[in-house]
Amino acid sequence: MAAPLELSCWGGGWGLPSVHSESLVVMAYAKFSGAPLKVNVIDNTWRGPRGDVPILTTEDGIVSQPAKILNFLRKQKYNADCELSAKQGADTLAYIALLEEKLLPAVLHTFWVENDNYFTVTKPWFASRIPFPLSLILPGRMSRGALNRILLTRGEPPLYHIQEVEAQIYRDAKECLNLLSNRLGTSQFFFGDTPSTLDAYVFGFLAPLYKVRFPKVHLQEHLKQLSNLCRLCDDILGSYFRHGPMGISPAGPEMIDVNLRKLTQLVNKESNLIEKVAFLHHCFPMDDNLRQSPQLLPRKLPTLKLTPAEEENNSLQRLSP
Amino acid sequence: MQAWPHFPDEETEDAWPRSPCRGKVLSTLPPRRFVPLHGGLATEPWPENATLYQQLRGEQILLSDNAASLAVQAFLQMCNLPVKVVCRANAEYMSPSGKVPFIHVGNQVVSELGPIVQFVKAKGHSLSDGLDEVQKAEMKAYMELVNNMLLTAELYLQWCDEATAGEITHARYGSPYPWPLNHILAYQKQWEVKRKMKAIGWGNKTLDQVLEDVDQCCQALSQRLGTQPYFFNKQPTELDALVFGHLYTILTTQLTSDELSEKVKNYSNLLAFCRRIEQHYFEDRGKGRLS
Repeated sequence: MAAPLELSCWGGGWGLPSVHSESLVVMAYAKFSGAPLKVNVIDNTWRGPRGDVPILTTEDGIVSQPAKILNFLRKQKYNADCELSAKQGADTLAYIALLEEKLLPAVLHTFWVENDNYFTVTKPWFASRIPFPLSLILPGRMSRGALNRILLTRGEPPLYHIQEVEAQIYRDAKECLNLLSNRLGTSQFFFGDTPSTLDAYVFGFLAPLYKVRFPKVHLQEHLKQLSNLCRLCDDILGSYFRHGPMGISPAGPEMIDVNLRKLTQLVNKESNLIEKVAFLHHCFPMDDNLRQSPQLLPRKLPTLKLTPAEEENNSLQRLSP
Repeated sequence: MQAWPHFPDEETEDAWPRSPCRGKVLSTLPPRRFVPLHGGLATEPWPENATLYQQLRGEQILLSDNAASLAVQAFLQMCNLPVKVVCRANAEYMSPSGKVPFIHVGNQVVSELGPIVQFVKAKGHSLSDGLDEVQKAEMKAYMELVNNMLLTAELYLQWCDEATAGEITHARYGSPYPWPLNHILAYQKQWEVKRKMKAIGWGNKTLDQVLEDVDQCCQALSQRLGTQPYFFNKQPTELDALVFGHLYTILTTQLTSDELSEKVKNYSNLLAFCRRIEQHYFEDRGKGRLS
């Protein structure tokens, strides 16, 4: 590639590389397919585009929606779907349509329309990344756009009231989450052991819902009960976004991180609680570098995924000085 | 006016398709499992006089509405439930949700394929009982794919493509009404559809991009169908009814250009699928309708 591809998108928070679903989809796909993307996070300055984000800037021009960006990357031979069969490719398209029809209205509602969430979390976050005076206008416009989309696709003319459709969209979203969980089952990614486009889309839609702390959370609680979907998000975050979206890695314990990654994958099949907790206390004080990593701390309490099985005692003892 | 598929009893309100064993239908149905709902209303057996309402077949109905109506008729045929098709100019306004088709069964009115499937299931008939959880998830996903891509493409072609909208859609949509109401209603509907397209991000698409999406959708359906007779092997489900409704309507409707039906004709297993369902479930309508 002559010039690097640049992606402009919204930044991250709460442990995610980006809080915006579509940006996250593109970033995840780029990581899965190995495309070298330079990520420009939209910040408080006047540089950079703001509408229609994420945007990929290439030497030939600008590509704007996630589906088109993914198509463009595929044409440049960065294809995360090369191991899929034709039927699996068809399934991908179908499941993406399911996500957009059933889950997206509820996600948009949780982020942009629900008053508590919008005024306490979403609006301040976006407003802090948009320069004044656009910060007064743009979040409001995005919120109205989200409301519009929900009403036009779900509301019944000519009334268009949000209350009528709220219950229905949340019901649909919960059903969609259940269907995804059924489809994922116990496998690591949707189509075997390597992540594909569908994993990117599911991650993009679910991760903000999973991680961002909202006051009104009933959809988030439903998601947390579906442990295999949460595990998928954590796996992708841990394996592909460990070093932050820029791809900068801390000089030093690369070997440790690789071992830790293998460890967590093996540990998922192990279930001895007491040994895990004891070993956890033993292993964390040893290495400050591991403790600083933002991905580890939140995972310590709820999922206990970092704790090793008995067999792995040797490799971890090798890590501690 | 373009030639729509010509159904013999266009002007009369006879049932289409005519089921051969109308009088004996109740006794030949398998024993039903009643699921009481809302004080037992759902436990009533399927009445003889169930009716399906749609717009006027000859002059008024549009591509997308015809597809939806055909999907519901196919579904009810697959469940062996008799229904009479009635054409009314104001069917859209009679419907509880504003969308056609809707069915009037006993004293309940249900519109659109999704709620109709659930209603029929509450009465004890279901086509997808034999599927396991993963297959049900797939079926729902593919139904959303058809709704998301095919239906939206049909709406785009009808209302947002200037050539088709001007020549065919406006004239058909407003045909039962006198001037100036016919123009006003047509423009109002067009404005509504364009608003929806813009909200979901299809506002800036060109016709070629839309046709490419249709092609992708048909390719996905064709790959999923493979060489099987129906999408979930031996038994048809509501997904088969939905796909049949849309594809058959696309294939048999003449628009200003043939590009849409050409896209579908590229996939021979989809053509065979439509022919198979037509022959199996709508037998007395004549074979060889698909050219």
